[in-house]
Amino acid sequence: MVRTFLGYPRSNGTVGVRNHVAVISVMDNCNPVTRAICQAVDMTLPVTTLFVRGQYGHDLEVAFNTLAGMGRNPNIAAVLLVGLEEQTTEEVARRIRPAGKPVESINLQPHGTINAVAEGTRRALKLAVAASAARRAPCPVSSLLVGVECGGSDTTSGLTCNPTIGAMADRLVADGGSVIISETSEFLGAEHLFAARAKDEAVGKAFVEAVVRLEREAVSRGMDIRGTNPTQDNIRGGLTTIEEKALGAMAKAGTSPLRGVLAYGEAPAGKGLHFMDAPAPAVENLTAMAAAGCQLIFFGTGVGNPIGNMVAPTVKVCGNVNTLRTMADNIDFDASEILEKSAKVGAVGDRLYDFAVEVASGTRTTSELLDIRETAISRFAPTI
Amino acid sequence: MPRAIVLDRRDNVATLIDSGQPGQACTLQGEASGELVLLQVVPFGHKVCVRATPAGGDILKYGQVIGKAAKPLAVGEHAHIHNVESARGRGDKAEG
Repeated sequence: MVRTFLGYPRSNGTVGVRNHVAVISVMDNCNPVTRAICQAVDMTLPVTTLFVRGQYGHDLEVAFNTLAGMGRNPNIAAVLLVGLEEQTTEEVARRIRPAGKPVESINLQPHGTINAVAEGTRRALKLAVAASAARRAPCPVSSLLVGVECGGSDTTSGLTCNPTIGAMADRLVADGGSVIISETSEFLGAEHLFAARAKDEAVGKAFVEAVVRLEREAVSRGMDIRGTNPTQDNIRGGLTTIEEKALGAMAKAGTSPLRGVLAYGEAPAGKGLHFMDAPAPAVENLTAMAAAGCQLIFFGTGVGNPIGNMVAPTVKVCGNVNTLRTMADNIDFDASEILEKSAKVGAVGDRLYDFAVEVASGTRTTSELLDIRETAISRFAPTI
Repeated sequence: MPRAIVLDRRDNVATLIDSGQPGQACTLQGEASGELVLLQVVPFGHKVCVRATPAGGDILKYGQVIGKAAKPLAVGEHAHIHNVESARGRGDKAEG
């Protein structure tokens, strides 16, 4: 029997787990207008950004593609772009249109702030009224693309939340769904184990090259990455080296074969487990996953990291009894029974998979309800 | 009594899932059993050495190398950044 959740089927065959109108800033100077429109209209989500103006080449391409990727995400019913001027706004708009959803734009030049807010609010209202006509319907779990992330890790992460997320990921992949693991630096010391799971030599090589490139860059700067990764809170939580952290972080990917390697924010072409080459810090990594089309993200934490993504609801999974007590308002799923009651990871993973179906069907996460959400696109070159 | 988990039979460190005090006995679980006496405070989630390891020796957890001993480690010793070193991303040790 095909496992289903209640999702929003989209015209292009994808399925949303939420139904929002995204109001997307094309560059940082548009953020105040984006926020003002979102305060005025229910169902809207502000997707703000920093920079873009002054970016060029590959760095600018990544910014445009990431903003557009969030607009194309199946959780988004319609998009209102807020730009400074027409041409740059169009660069983002033309990348979203192929997804087949309404894309409108408002530019600050020559309207000025008050008129841009007024006109943007009118347009967002119309988009939201139309989007609200969508209804949830049973959809196969194979339509889910799920990101797996960790942050605020400690030694409980590699023993509880990450393997639980991995068990859930295995079940989703077995049911025809897809998973993205990322955070390139957090494979240092574990890359040989993960590379062995690649579907072929080319995929394994592409993955290892991403890890080697990153380590070479850190070393070429003459820097010691200790204290940056593992972070100070990782160290307080008992993680001693990046190798130890990586071995625990990799558990989020479960045991299925690695099907492909993706660039920052790139959508996978096929099903199954993929690796995305992107920086580890949560906000920029979650942004890349949402841009790749992840409808949901599972985020393992040990000492606690509350942040979630704007577009992809982020499920916080924790197995540290202390954090579950002190940061309960930031945790969605308790995996502490693994250490406290010797529960089997597989059984807790089954429970997390059930919860994944619930969240995909509309159960809200704490980061959505408390609006602990942020967007940041990684930078790959200096501004000019 | 504090508990510590050994994840692989080859491991020379175990992870405490309670906090431990010096002189306290600690029960080993997982891929090893028995007890050892903690030599220092070992906070929740931190590691204790379960097999004497010379300076420069590999530190193993999950049956994998997670770093090198920067100093000799005795059984019951708190194993962390003061006596275990990462071998990766070490631009500070790069030649040239």
